Amino acid sequence: MLNQTVFVISDDTAALSELCAGAKSLATRVTAIVFGGQDTAESAASCGADAIRYCPVSEEGAPEDYASAIAAVVKKENQAFVMLHNSIRGRCLAGRIGVLLDTPVLTSVSAVAEEGGALVCRRMVYGGTAQRSERFAKPYGVATISGGAFEPGPALPTTTDIAQLEGAPEGGIRRISRAEKKEGGVNLVAAKRIVDVGRGLAAEEDLALCRELAGVLGAEVGCSRPVAENNKWLPKSSYMGITGVQVKPDVILTLGVSGQVQHIGGINKSRVIVAINKDKAAPIFKSCDFGLVGDLYKIVPALIKKLS
Amino acid sequence: MKIIVCCKIVPNEEEIRVLPDRSLDLSATPWKISQYDLNALESGRQLAAETKGSVTALSVGGPSALDSTKIRKDVLSRGADDLKLVIDDSHSFSDSLETAKALAGALKNCGAFDVVLCGMGSSDLYLQETGIQTGALLGLPSINNVTAIRPAGEGLLEVERTLEEEVETLEVTLPAVLSVSSEINVPSVPAMREIMRAGKKPVAVLDDLGALDGASLEMLEQLAPEQQERRQEVIEGDGDEAVEALAQFLKKECL
Ligand SMILES: Cc1cc2nc3c(=O)[nH]c(=O)nc-3n(C[C@H](O)[C@H](O)[C@H](O)COP(=O)(O)OP(=O)(O)OC[C@H]3O[C@@H](n4cnc5c(N)ncnc54)[C@H](O)[C@@H]3O)c2cc1C
Ligand SMILES: Cc1cc2nc3c(=O)[nH]c(=O)nc-3n(C[C@H](O)[C@H](O)[C@H](O)COP(=O)(O)OP(=O)(O)OC[C@H]3O[C@@H](n4cnc5c(N)ncnc54)[C@H](O)[C@@H]3O)c2cc1C
Repeated sequence: MLNQTVFVISDDTAALSELCAGAKSLATRVTAIVFGGQDTAESAASCGADAIRYCPVSEEGAPEDYASAIAAVVKKENQAFVMLHNSIRGRCLAGRIGVLLDTPVLTSVSAVAEEGGALVCRRMVYGGTAQRSERFAKPYGVATISGGAFEPGPALPTTTDIAQLEGAPEGGIRRISRAEKKEGGVNLVAAKRIVDVGRGLAAEEDLALCRELAGVLGAEVGCSRPVAENNKWLPKSSYMGITGVQVKPDVILTLGVSGQVQHIGGINKSRVIVAINKDKAAPIFKSCDFGLVGDLYKIVPALIKKLS
Repeated sequence: MKIIVCCKIVPNEEEIRVLPDRSLDLSATPWKISQYDLNALESGRQLAAETKGSVTALSVGGPSALDSTKIRKDVLSRGADDLKLVIDDSHSFSDSLETAKALAGALKNCGAFDVVLCGMGSSDLYLQETGIQTGALLGLPSINNVTAIRPAGEGLLEVERTLEEEVETLEVTLPAVLSVSSEINVPSVPAMREIMRAGKKPVAVLDDLGALDGASLEMLEQLAPEQQERRQEVIEGDGDEAVEALAQFLKKECL
């Protein structure tokens, strides 16, 4: 355990406990920084931190505006590690804090461990082709941590060291409006069977065919990143891969998925992978247990008939 | 509007060789434009068309990546009017801050600009930080995950930013640095005419970087994950026999 402070920063209080439990296992002192009023801080009092500082973000403001105030507080320590929630705001805040502390940022970190007196971060590189371990060579390190990097710890005593963060917000970009996003989603992580739809599907209507197959198999429907992001046919929480959901069903049936390394990184813990793709040379066939080289529009209707 | 698009030239991750000891061999891996920088180039092209502006592409990298005429033409066939390069192999650029410092330095040598567009994250390291850190170093407003950009009058842009649970509409004072999301557009495939024109567009090599602090991250290990063995029973055909074999496989394995 390192004799130093770890700052845990999250724009989502739900992520605090896991991050604080992780921080507690790495270093002697943990300070959590949350966004909201004193009530937000008090409701997080048992997150596992030794101290909580809150940033009272106004209706027009944003957590990112506290980058310089947070950096100033971190700089009071001679050496510190700053761990943030791996959200879009978290990464924006991390980049700004990093510049103010003159240090780079590691993002989407999947594990942090103490090795030889330093904190070592692991993350995927080259689309999931490799895992890289790195450590900061400077007194300050900044990293955003993916969910699941740490085990949630045992219930910890509630802290009473709660105060407003020193310093004021700065440099706000004017927000004209904000709207809640309405996207449904399925829980692919828990699914036993998944039908995985790729860009080989020609039209949105054809999802009905995939859903019918899923119904026969008792499966959930997931997809590749471009099907969700570019075609917007399924919610983004449905795409699998190194930057999406990582699944481990008994069987996953891919339809018109080419099998790029980034997608495979999300499905390769499946017990059985079945592939349907019309291109014999598609890389998915190197990662499957059973495959058919053919037109999904011929195969899927015939398969539904045989299985129902 | 004068637009600068930052493009990273990266090793094609599909062609990295994994050696038996699970280390990587990149010696024969070809270079390509980082996938999501194609979205940034497309945004630049569209914004330039709307504002009768221009697009300069900017890339920092080593000579093996940036000396290639093929790569240069590829960038220039995707909407950029000219290309500026910082070619430097005396630095290892192993972290986001060092790369951001290099880009910030190059941007100071690019003359006046209104907006810098970056991709969402590079295909190789995907830190998603370079745009934010470059903006912060230059003291400019910087925003990540931008999903729409609209001109909003002199010196202003209206920008949509999509977060996990909400969509923000922001007013940004220019100059600014925007990292665009990969969902902002579908990059168009360059037309033959654009490919022909690309070879005639200007390429300028800017001064190299001089002394930088050096990287502040130390790489300890880089290994491919253990491969899970797959049976790879592949049948060619989509006729009844093939589908029957698939149905039997599914019944045996999992139903
Ligand atoms: C940094 C980074 C991170 C990324 N993260 C992810 C990620 O987490 N998840 C992810 O999925 N992607 C990710 N990607 C994108 C990834 O590189 C691929 O672009 C994507 O996975 C391809 O999706 P696809 O297989 O659906 O489409 P394509 O590659 O276009 O493949 C479509 C396939 O369908 C086949 N096909 C077409 N018609 C038919 C038919 N009638 N019958 C049968 N087969 C047919 C074609 O032969 C082709 O192989 C990432 C990329 C980058 C750069
Ligand atoms: C000359 C050179 C040598 C390098 N050598 C190594 C090495 O030996 N080992 C290693 O691990 N990494 C090396 N890198 C990569 C470097 O470490 C990364 O560029 C840096 O960490 C930024 O992180 P990222 O690639 O994840 O970018 P991200 O933050 O994910 O990139 C976001 C966006 O920033 C812009 N951007 C990023 N980099 C550049 C660039 N170079 N030029 C123009 N725009 C850019 C793009 O718009 C990109 O979409 C080298 C880079 C350069 C330029």
